[in-house]
Amino acid sequence: MLSVSAAKKQRRDLKQYSAEQRVKFKRSIPLLLMFLPAIVYFVVFKYVPMLGLQIAFRNYFLMDGIWKSPWVGLDNFRFLLSSGQTLNTIRNTFVLGILGVLVSFPIPILIALLFNEVRSRAYKNLVQSFYYLPHFLSWVVVGGIFTGIFALDSGIINHLTEKLFGFRYAYLYNEGSWIAVFLSARIWKEGGFSAIIYLAALTNVPPELYEAAAMDGAGKFKRIIHITLPSIIPTIITMLIINMGKVMEIGFDQVYTMQNDVVSNVSEVISTYVYKIGLGRGQFSLSTAMGLFESAVSLTLVLITNAIAKRFDKGLW
Amino acid sequence: MKTTKGERTFYAINYVILTLGALLCLLPFLHVASQSLSSYRANTSGLVGIWPVELNVDAYKQLFQGTRILPSLFNSVQITVIGTLLSMVFTVMAAYPLSRRHFWGRKFFMKAIVFTMLFNGGMIPTYLNMRSLGLVNTYGALWLLNLINPYNMIIMRSFFEEMPQEMIDATKIDGSTEMQTLWYIILPLSLPVMVTVGMFYLIWYWDLFQGVLIYITDTKKYNLVVLVNQLINQNDILDKLNRRSSSAMAVQISPDMIRAAGIMTMVIPIVSIYPFLQKYFVKGVMIGSVKG
Repeated sequence: MLSVSAAKKQRRDLKQYSAEQRVKFKRSIPLLLMFLPAIVYFVVFKYVPMLGLQIAFRNYFLMDGIWKSPWVGLDNFRFLLSSGQTLNTIRNTFVLGILGVLVSFPIPILIALLFNEVRSRAYKNLVQSFYYLPHFLSWVVVGGIFTGIFALDSGIINHLTEKLFGFRYAYLYNEGSWIAVFLSARIWKEGGFSAIIYLAALTNVPPELYEAAAMDGAGKFKRIIHITLPSIIPTIITMLIINMGKVMEIGFDQVYTMQNDVVSNVSEVISTYVYKIGLGRGQFSLSTAMGLFESAVSLTLVLITNAIAKRFDKGLW
Repeated sequence: MKTTKGERTFYAINYVILTLGALLCLLPFLHVASQSLSSYRANTSGLVGIWPVELNVDAYKQLFQGTRILPSLFNSVQITVIGTLLSMVFTVMAAYPLSRRHFWGRKFFMKAIVFTMLFNGGMIPTYLNMRSLGLVNTYGALWLLNLINPYNMIIMRSFFEEMPQEMIDATKIDGSTEMQTLWYIILPLSLPVMVTVGMFYLIWYWDLFQGVLIYITDTKKYNLVVLVNQLINQNDILDKLNRRSSSAMAVQISPDMIRAAGIMTMVIPIVSIYPFLQKYFVKGVMIGSVKG
């Protein structure tokens, strides 16, 4: 008896629920109409291309199109993981990506901590504007500035070292120094601007904490380490998750504008390779497989980082 | 609070480090600007530091008379202005419904949009899709590449959500339609977020490089970024310029000069709206970081 009435109640709840949903839907019709372009846009330009990913498992022919080209299973991926050139490209992507995160991640935190200790508002505003400016420039500009400064025979660095110490160095044509120039360009462009997020987080630290700590005799450094840093840990973790997702997609623009043939052994990355063999040489299936590999790895990295962060109750979702 | 001796040293070191950093940000600009304004002789013998030597504007003259920089500047303006307007209209129309608490399917739509931030078809499938729609070699491809940017949309939605819902409900009782509520109530109160997101789009379109390389095949349709990249990397443009000048004006320019002048043409518009940019970008990043 009890179970029958429970089932009845459940059915009644369900009916009520679906009725509520219908009312909600009806009331939402004007909003849905307004939202319709967004639905169309995301379906046609974001989700339909995802269907196109299937050509990674086909041998794409222009005449056959995405849906009729012959299936080849994992052949494209097998090729990617067996050819020296593609393996090298994958390795470069990881190396530049991981170095990029390792080197460029702590800098904005450091800059934010330093700015947080500045007391003159006018100085802070003026100096901050210099730090933010490079962010707004295209990589073509930043890449052009850096390759110009470090150029072998016309760069200002080599002019100076020749005058002072009598030597020139081919910064852009040695693999190690090219990577160093590459990473410094990235720090120069984004280091200052990325500090904004940490500065925003720092404004929320209650000043009483500092006063209490000072009362207890904690010095400047102790206060930074025990109060300032812990209070921005959630922001640091969020930024780390976001950055992990970007390990694989070190921007096309930066690599494309800074690379040269001499160092292509370390400078060719997945996105530039996909562009060159996909659009340049029409190898659509192979380059799509490479792109899919990249997206899959970066999605996995984001999910793993988020899962780890969740363990400490700091997950993004 | 009294400052101790240790604290004073700390502040001094802090100021020194931050000032050095600011110089590091600034000096490369001064150097490039000086290169573009110095003579051929000064440039090729490495005399140019952070101040123009033998001041002249030959590089700019050559750049504007001998290359396609003016048409490409016009293309950039066209791509940027139309693109920003389109993006703003469609981003508002996506953000407003998603900000309403009782919008049917709100959670699902939100998830579907956020998913595209984590995973997408990638370069080649997106290209094939654009091609099958006949958009290759049109600016339409560039405008549709990032018409509704999920990050910008979320910033806008967060701002709309902060508005008192009772106020919006009250307009409903008065019988205004959703479109009227959006137009007369929400938008006039949303100026800060509109400017912020508008700036994000503006910079995105202005700096657009990869998209143009992929989708635009007609060199006459290139934007300023792609043209400047050609100036930096292709010496034949310079050879052509020098040949032209040796016959007509007898001014010689070095690769550094034309490169520097091209870079400055990209930089100057950004620097001239920079005070405005900085104010709103900082705000936008903060809204985004709170809600992110």
